[in-house]
Amino acid sequence: MPAEAKTVRLRRALLPAPLSRFALPRGMSILIAFAAFSVVLIGVGEALSPGYASAANMLQLLKLSSFLGIVSIGQTLVILAGGIDLSVAWVLTGAAFAFTTVTRGQNSGILTGLLAALAVGAGVGAVNGVGVAKLRISPIVMTLATNSIMQGGTLVVTSGSPLGVPDLVRATATGSVGPLPTMTLIWAALTAVVVIAVAMTSGGRKLLAVGENPRASFLSGIDNDAVTIFAYTLSGVAAALAGVLFAGFSNTSFLGMGDQFVLPSIAAVVLGGASIRGGRGGYGGTALGVILITLLSTDLLMGNISPGLRNIIFGLALIGAVLSHKLLLRGESE
Amino acid sequence: MRGVWLSRLRLEENWPVLTFVALLLLDVALKGRFSRFDLQTLCANALPLALISFGQFFVVLTGGIDLSLGPISSVAGSCAALLLARDMTTGFAVALLAGAAAGLGNGLLVVRFALPPIVVTLGSMSVWQGVALLILPNPGGEVPPELSDFLSSDYGVPTSLAALALAWLAASWVTSTRFGLHLRAIGDDETAARMSGVAVPRVKTAAYVLAGATAAAGGVTLAIATSSGSPTVGDDYILLSVATVVLGGVSLGGGVGNALGVVMGALIVTIIGSLLYFAHLSSFYQSIINGVILLAVVASPSVRNWIGLQFRRLRHAG
Repeated sequence: MPAEAKTVRLRRALLPAPLSRFALPRGMSILIAFAAFSVVLIGVGEALSPGYASAANMLQLLKLSSFLGIVSIGQTLVILAGGIDLSVAWVLTGAAFAFTTVTRGQNSGILTGLLAALAVGAGVGAVNGVGVAKLRISPIVMTLATNSIMQGGTLVVTSGSPLGVPDLVRATATGSVGPLPTMTLIWAALTAVVVIAVAMTSGGRKLLAVGENPRASFLSGIDNDAVTIFAYTLSGVAAALAGVLFAGFSNTSFLGMGDQFVLPSIAAVVLGGASIRGGRGGYGGTALGVILITLLSTDLLMGNISPGLRNIIFGLALIGAVLSHKLLLRGESE
Repeated sequence: MRGVWLSRLRLEENWPVLTFVALLLLDVALKGRFSRFDLQTLCANALPLALISFGQFFVVLTGGIDLSLGPISSVAGSCAALLLARDMTTGFAVALLAGAAAGLGNGLLVVRFALPPIVVTLGSMSVWQGVALLILPNPGGEVPPELSDFLSSDYGVPTSLAALALAWLAASWVTSTRFGLHLRAIGDDETAARMSGVAVPRVKTAAYVLAGATAAAGGVTLAIATSSGSPTVGDDYILLSVATVVLGGVSLGGGVGNALGVVMGALIVTIIGSLLYFAHLSSFYQSIINGVILLAVVASPSVRNWIGLQFRRLRHAG
């Protein structure tokens, strides 16, 4: 590919010769890039508001990151399998409303409410998966359509007035265990599970195989459709769980609460070094991407930067990140 | 007789048109009238969506996707709302050039660095949302009343209908040229297109530039129709433009689709809104119905085959 050759040439021109020949392993270079960027972002934050770099504040930032982090679990799995999930916005909102409608603010209803919310997530996710795998609908269109249906459905069923959340869930989403925010712990545990599942289990390898080359994976005996449906179902469940917890954090379920998660969740996956075309990457990178996004957005907020400029910087950072991936990593990155 | 007539409709190719006609008939039945004014309103409402979707159409034909077209139309509309009242030529020129420049940025990133279109335009979407907010922090600005009057006027033919028809003709002309053929060839099989001598980088970049300019025209039309600019008006069109081209029979895989389908897609989305209003259904249902129709359309190579089969059976029976 000429474009490919061009980026190789550019890379050679940009990097000192020894560095360009000495290509680091992929995971290592992502870690180094993450460390460099987070030091810069934390430094900027500290300069803007002293105390930003304190351990306590870092834990708070991890708590803030955890909601996007949980949504991004699903997004990562779907993208690794070669798809994309645009329905997380209203699956999250719909599940949060299902939860608050069932519980009516009572602790006693939490289990039923949680089951209802997760059922909504799993149901929509499974529909997405069946549409993509069996009906061969493009993932963008399929999840766009279910998002639209969930949006209307949530409005029609609940008429959209915000509802309260049981105390226990609010306490979980906002409280801490000792010095550690509960949400940070939940997210850390989920991260460990997902990272291990993707990297070390046969299910994870199947997921990557389907994303890398569906034909090859099919020929080696993998049930592509089942893997795809499973990935979308998990994405729905993750979005639903994030919805319940985010409702707890906000102390209410409200319309449009999920919209702010869709594009950042995709951005986090891309920042984490996964290929948007599937087959390469893992959740570890995404989790780091989520943290970078939170650091960047809190920096921009504290710097009193106008919303317009904030959007521009965010967009340029995303483009810059994929561009530098392309230029600095070896040609295998895309 | 009936069977022959049905087969002449050529369901396979013309279903966007037929869907629109069916919805239009339903609309007329519900209202009990279809005046000149109704026609004018329908076309005026569909025009900005159709223009932005034409932009999406050019990119999707090459097998790409552009999530930044909505925000680009916000930027163009904001420029228009600030400049048109001072000097019309400058206003139009700046708005359209801004759109083309934004498209050029996307095109260069996608083509030069072989980055995935969805990621590039996700980033530039955020950038142009920001630029629109910097240009016009709050909805406002001013559009000369004569422009708004012109768009809602009727010289024998409603202006909005004429504009929609003109846009359709222009887009069909573009797709019928050698350039249009190359767009399709790239979307169909990029390697094959390159091998047969298509200047893939140039054609692809041009597709994004053209998309940016067309979406900008949509943004200007929105500003004129509402007599003001808004920095967030285009956000609704980010995914709606994708849905519209798909409704119009354009394949996201690239290479397939025509301009008439895109116009029909825009008219279908618009008329559903008007139908709900007259059926006294809450606008809450709009997104459900949009979603269901979108699914019905894309799930339907098989569903359409099934309908075609039923019609053929009917013909044999009759």
